[in-house]
Amino acid sequence: MTHETSILEIIEKTTARRNARRAFMKTAAGGVAAVGGLSLLAACGDDGAMSTPFPTPTPTPTPTAVSVDVAVLNFALNLEYLEAQFYSYAAFGTGLPASSLTGTGTQGAVITGSGAGFPRAVDFSGDPLIGQYAREIAYDEIAHVNFLRAALGSMAVAQPAINISGTADGAFSAAARAAGVITGTSATFDPYLNPTNFLLGAYIFEDVGVTAYKGASPVISATYLDAAAGILAAEAYHAGLVRTILYSRGVTNRDLITATQMISDLRDNADGTATGTLAGGTTPTAGSASPDGTAAKAGDDDQGIGGTNIGVLATGVSNIVPTDVNGLAYSRSTQQVHNIVYLNATGANRTSGGFFPAGTNNPNPAFTVGLG
Amino acid sequence: MTQTDQIIEAFDARARRREERRGFFKNVMGAAAVTAAGAAAMSIASEAQAQTTGPSEVDVLNFALNLEYLEAQFYSYASTGQGLPANLLTGGVGTQGAVQTGTGVGSARQVVFTDPAIAAYAREITQDEIAHVTFLRAAIRGTGTSDALIAAQPAINISGATGGAFAAAAASTMPALTGFDPYADDNSFLQAAFIFEDVGVTAYKGAAGALINNKVYLEAAAGILAVEAYHAAIVRTALYARGATLPALRSNTDAISNLRDSVDGTTDLDQGVSPTTVSGQTVSNIVPLDVNGLAFSRTPAQVLNIVYLNPRSVTAGGFFPNGINNSNTAIRSSGAN
Repeated sequence: MTHETSILEIIEKTTARRNARRAFMKTAAGGVAAVGGLSLLAACGDDGAMSTPFPTPTPTPTPTAVSVDVAVLNFALNLEYLEAQFYSYAAFGTGLPASSLTGTGTQGAVITGSGAGFPRAVDFSGDPLIGQYAREIAYDEIAHVNFLRAALGSMAVAQPAINISGTADGAFSAAARAAGVITGTSATFDPYLNPTNFLLGAYIFEDVGVTAYKGASPVISATYLDAAAGILAAEAYHAGLVRTILYSRGVTNRDLITATQMISDLRDNADGTATGTLAGGTTPTAGSASPDGTAAKAGDDDQGIGGTNIGVLATGVSNIVPTDVNGLAYSRSTQQVHNIVYLNATGANRTSGGFFPAGTNNPNPAFTVGLG
Repeated sequence: MTQTDQIIEAFDARARRREERRGFFKNVMGAAAVTAAGAAAMSIASEAQAQTTGPSEVDVLNFALNLEYLEAQFYSYASTGQGLPANLLTGGVGTQGAVQTGTGVGSARQVVFTDPAIAAYAREITQDEIAHVTFLRAAIRGTGTSDALIAAQPAINISGATGGAFAAAAASTMPALTGFDPYADDNSFLQAAFIFEDVGVTAYKGAAGALINNKVYLEAAAGILAVEAYHAAIVRTALYARGATLPALRSNTDAISNLRDSVDGTTDLDQGVSPTTVSGQTVSNIVPLDVNGLAFSRTPAQVLNIVYLNPRSVTAGGFFPNGINNSNTAIRSSGAN
């Protein structure tokens, strides 16, 4: 065998693996439940890396590791259902195939609503670049749903009821109203109306996914760490994409930058004032200057994109990346994430609301509630 | 076409990127490179078993610190014309080196930006990267006051002048970027930044497992991983958007990606931003992911192949003319590809 042959053979093996995965996806997507079990994740997570990685030391044994992993991965799956449905409707005008929604817990529908603001394909014809981004992100999020479902196998939760409607009583309008982007009970925020609204709708979710996966990083076991880190990175790329476009357009359309600040403030207000640790993201002193150009609130772990001196060539500093003083992204606990996606539900109401009108599905009930 | 078909087609689009890469390997790998790669391929199993004592957590953090020195110096010169303050460069591990800026055309200097948004991104990323240097140094220092465990900044070459690392990188891309001056203007700056950014993401992802027993370090590394991915997205999005009217900006990312892929081994871990077509519709490629929607990982050796600009096992070159500083010699060498 020549050396060239051996190289190509290795590539062929990669291709064979890929084709196997393709067949698997087709089967799973076609309605035959994939019962790969958790061990499949390890096989899927490493997409053919061939040289010596940093060796992973033997982790400290944790008796409940598997059940925590199942809870964390299912927590993530709920968020991916939400993101995938939103992007799929916006990019393609349709939701995920029914075979991608089954599982444990109570399966719910996508609440599309009717009238102005119902979920539908955004008309990107006047702004084709945004359409190209929308399709890319949609495919990525669908891949995350499929990946997590395959990883969890029979332990995957069903999609809960999801509200991605921009009608007056829809979750997007409720979020925009709570943020102050729109005012009045009859006003709507329709993320499907045009490419700009789509970007703001996407903005509501993206950074939350980053903080959620980062918050889960110290909890998840060694088996799933690599895959979780891979999704964390993907979500951060998505967030960076959306924030970059909003900023570049915000230089001439300041309303966009103002809107991101309002949504950021909403997330800050909703997720409590828990102050971060060194690793979780050091929250600034209330009233100090936030990198987004505003005064920081107590427990401020979210930032808009404005920065300082917007549009000033010589001195402007953007805030595409929400970081603490150490240059680290923030973490959110599962409770904090729920407060946001439930839209600030507290007390007795912290088990559902907003984008998840019947709550999230999880075999561990502690992973379905917000802070009290 | 059903939604399922569309998803499969998107999946195939990712696969096609790899098919192209296969043809690429067949065509461009010279005899020497093939020999090296073939040898590496055959020794994978033994290589995997050889490393019995892994790097310590401090070794891993110092590895990251070397990369952050490089990124921070590049962005700092590009946005301000100056490097990092001297008190951020000292350390007890390794020999401290200078920044080699080169002279004349292509030398490291402040970019004259014309787009306020790109200038604002450059300043923001500079602040973040300097914060990473500061943070990692503090994390390695720990509760003590000694810098004994901190890797000093090694010699760093961020010159685009003749003989400089950027010039060498530009000459090695496939196809080569002729007359590339990383500090010339907004577009040049973005392409130079593209050379580094995705590498940082894959490096931190590859390192995550080695920090699993220290949850504080692990979560911090996850925080930097996320920030590097945000940075990469800024750069990739800006290049893609500008590439709508200047297509070379997109194809150049593919050329740089090919360079990274050609030196870091046979596994395809890299993608440019050029779009694919799915169901007759154009789909961007801002996010380089595998078929499961996950970002790639690189081993320390693979990362060093890229920053040393060399497919073989060497201990210095490219952006680190004297190698990186680390007390663990096992993670100072690039891979034998």
